Amino acid sequence: MAPSTTDVLLTDLHVSYVQKLGQNKDDLTYHLTSHLRLNAIYWGFTAVCILGRPDALDRDEMIAFVMSCWDEEAGAFGAHPDHDAHLLSTLSAIQILVMQDALDRLDVDRVVKFILSLQQPSGVFAGDKWGEVDTRFLYCAVNALSLLGRLDLLDKEKTVGYIERCRNYDGGFGNSIGAESHSAQVFVCVAALAILDRLDVVDVDTLAWWLSERQLPNGGLNGRPEKLEDVCYSFWVLSALSIINKVPWIDAEKLSSFILSAQDPESGGIADRPGDMVDVFHTLFGVAGLSILGYPGLVDLDPVYCMPANVIETRGLRKNWQALPRRQ
Amino acid sequence: MFWLIDRGGGGARLGAWRQRYGARPLRSAMHNVKRTRQTPEEREARKRKEQTKIEEFTSLSQTVLSKKKDGDWSQDAFNLTTRLLQVNPEFYTIWNYRREILINGTFAKSSPDEIKSVLTDELAMAMSALKAHPKVYWIWNHRRWCLENVPNVPGQESEPSHLGWKQSAWDRELFVVEKMLDTDPRNFHAWNYRRYVLARMPNAKPESAELAYTSRKIETNFSNFSAWHQRSKILTSLWAQGKLDEAKSREEEFELLRNAMYTDPNDQSVWMYHRWLVGTGGGKTILEREITAIQELLDEQPDSKWCMESIVHYKRLLVKSCADEVDVTSLLGECKELYKRLQELDPARRRRYQELAEEIDS
Repeated sequence: MAPSTTDVLLTDLHVSYVQKLGQNKDDLTYHLTSHLRLNAIYWGFTAVCILGRPDALDRDEMIAFVMSCWDEEAGAFGAHPDHDAHLLSTLSAIQILVMQDALDRLDVDRVVKFILSLQQPSGVFAGDKWGEVDTRFLYCAVNALSLLGRLDLLDKEKTVGYIERCRNYDGGFGNSIGAESHSAQVFVCVAALAILDRLDVVDVDTLAWWLSERQLPNGGLNGRPEKLEDVCYSFWVLSALSIINKVPWIDAEKLSSFILSAQDPESGGIADRPGDMVDVFHTLFGVAGLSILGYPGLVDLDPVYCMPANVIETRGLRKNWQALPRRQ
Repeated sequence: MFWLIDRGGGGARLGAWRQRYGARPLRSAMHNVKRTRQTPEEREARKRKEQTKIEEFTSLSQTVLSKKKDGDWSQDAFNLTTRLLQVNPEFYTIWNYRREILINGTFAKSSPDEIKSVLTDELAMAMSALKAHPKVYWIWNHRRWCLENVPNVPGQESEPSHLGWKQSAWDRELFVVEKMLDTDPRNFHAWNYRRYVLARMPNAKPESAELAYTSRKIETNFSNFSAWHQRSKILTSLWAQGKLDEAKSREEEFELLRNAMYTDPNDQSVWMYHRWLVGTGGGKTILEREITAIQELLDEQPDSKWCMESIVHYKRLLVKSCADEVDVTSLLGECKELYKRLQELDPARRRRYQELAEEIDS
């Protein structure tokens, strides 16, 4: 058998890698990650959708699992049956149900009530009733309310006001007021602003400069100045660049090669860096990055929602982002 | 939809308490863990070995989750959460349950003194968890909750000393976070926590002390952008309150930067901080002086991208802010030259330089 090369995207291997994730029940790490299960299903499902194989995972089984994570006391989703509700897992559940066109299964009023109850007087959101706050949770809330068509219930001024106070002189955003800019927090803040039609808050030239300087000589992107590259930043940085229409400000070809070199050519999946262990999180964000870069054969990804673009277009939610044209 | 799952030091440093369960980190998101090939035989052997651990872990999880469902707030249940969190500190539901037990079980039948001592133990438990897992959000979050629940000293309500327990807990916390930043000076969890402690501690530390702290961190390593960032926030606040002579302090910062630039002209942190400092004000004089100073460095290091990037940025700023007092045509001509050189020197960002150059012509 000819050895697989990592010069091209190993689509079939990645699909089969994702399919096998649910069958690893004799693997300890499968059990040790139960607190991430719903998120992992969202990562895996979105990855196979972008790879053009949405049917690779069983629809009924997936919907049944999502519904089994419902936390009746809180009125939202935990990451696994009997785990507590949290905004992170609640957004994953809603995204999966939207992608599977199964929102009719959801008690929308209750979950909207849960989400809105987490907004703090400052405008940021807590992740759950225990009160940890972060711009990630603000994004989860805005994204979920938008998917559910209930954005009109949100105090937008207050929400945007908080993001604005997280903006730093380098154009980036942190996880809370005063925090250092970080690519992933830049993504959540910029995407939330895009959903709220308030991109005027972004200092585009300064932010695009800061984001473009995330690319290192090996083509990979880092999350902050003077840090190492990592495949997941391919999505955090690229999504923000595409929302402000500046993807060409980095070297797409070098970044594509870097992502491809982090594939496992034997068992599929993508790692943080070449030669490391793969996982479903980096598999999605590697594939997502390649989609934004116009890699041939991939399905368009909406960088604002991190879901297939056609799903978002159908719901009339597409914003004015720009990816690179898809190559043949 | 996501969070930053970053185990920094990688799988090898997972701490003694994970040894029993194997040093392999969680498969859903791994950072910096080398891929190893296993033969089918090795894989089988590993699976057999793991079987017992899987049974132990799943049965412990089920026991704890069912106690949680039953509203069991006993000491026995509390001890089981300790065991489970030692195996998996990312099991957020179990941290939640632990706090429910403390609130509804322990605190309800304890004196303030006992509550204080329980929370001290709790902070120690979270400390050993953090040492092994310095980037797990849930552990930092649990610390915040513990701190915020340290009671007042009873019977001293009218005395300043009624805050005594709180003060010593928060003071100790600043020490803890400094230890964490000694180990990893870029850990953003630790920096965020530091800002939280500084903002909320009952005996507020003067901001000048924090300025001195950032000096120490920067002296140890010029590349520590987290420390430069913190410094920009502290100075902004000190200047706004008039606690520092702004003009003098700004000059001191330029001096510090001059040293850093010459030490390593390729370090982004320094140039980003320089851009902040120039942006805080000073006008034409400062801009021209800084352009000259950077030009001197560029003459010594003719291929320094950051020298060029900064000069071109400041020249354009000069044109924008003082068009009536400068030779616009020659400055813009110099900028176009610099963009041309930057395109050759830094091809990854070629399009950016092209677009900025085209902007001049349009």
